[in-house]
Amino acid sequence: MKTLGRILIILTVFALVMGITYVAVNAGGTSSTGTQRFENGERPQFEPGQRPGGDFEGRREGGERDGGGWMFGLIKNVGIIAVVTVLIALPRSIARNKKRSMPVTAE
Amino acid sequence: MIENQTKSKSQTKIKLVIDIIIFFVFLIAMDPRSSGIAVHEWLATSALAALVVHLLLSWDWIVGITRRFAGRVNNVSRINYILNWLLFTDGTIIMLSGFMISESLMPFLGISMPQNFAWRSIHDMTANLFLLLLGIHTALHWSWIVDAFKRYVFQPVAKLFSMSRKKDMTT
Repeated sequence: MKTLGRILIILTVFALVMGITYVAVNAGGTSSTGTQRFENGERPQFEPGQRPGGDFEGRREGGERDGGGWMFGLIKNVGIIAVVTVLIALPRSIARNKKRSMPVTAE
Repeated sequence: MIENQTKSKSQTKIKLVIDIIIFFVFLIAMDPRSSGIAVHEWLATSALAALVVHLLLSWDWIVGITRRFAGRVNNVSRINYILNWLLFTDGTIIMLSGFMISESLMPFLGISMPQNFAWRSIHDMTANLFLLLLGIHTALHWSWIVDAFKRYVFQPVAKLFSMSRKKDMTT
């Protein structure tokens, strides 16, 4: 019961953040990025499952990359996480070790 | 006391397994070009369940820091708390924008979303930010990750090897 309540809290916060974002994007997005591109009032119609062409080539189906290219994205993401982790964790660990090795001075 | 220690040990183990799963799911989902849109969408949506479990396992910490946030809390915990909120919010926006531009999941469920191209750029932007936040999150929990790996992965494997070596010696 306790766990169920906690799940409900998490999902409520989740829905709340989603709701706020949805309202914010629709309030601001429609006047800037969204519909203003089509000034003649015509918006392209897409069937479900059909994606727009043009600028949005980032979301292609798998297998369209050159040989071995599919690994590149994965390695790149691991690399970014690793670099950020090292940049933060390494100085912290050095500082901790320094603190530990410092002789305790008498007060 | 002993019961609490056992509970905490098993929780750490579950947490480690869940975190590893989330990490790999995230890595696969983060690259829709290689996994394909359908895998990307279904995998990311199913990761929501794993994220809920992750939050449930950290519930005591979350409640504790929320109560003491304005009071006596060390800076690392405070930064961690803010970062976790950022991660949660960013993850939620990724999910929402993903649903809004869905090409596989929503059509499968028979739901058609209103077209707004802003969602696509929001999805890309928040995903990139998530990568950065995940790196910081990993860094701030690095000592926990190392400890958990030592205790539940490296030590049992080393024990296994030493046991098989002992068996070989006796035979």
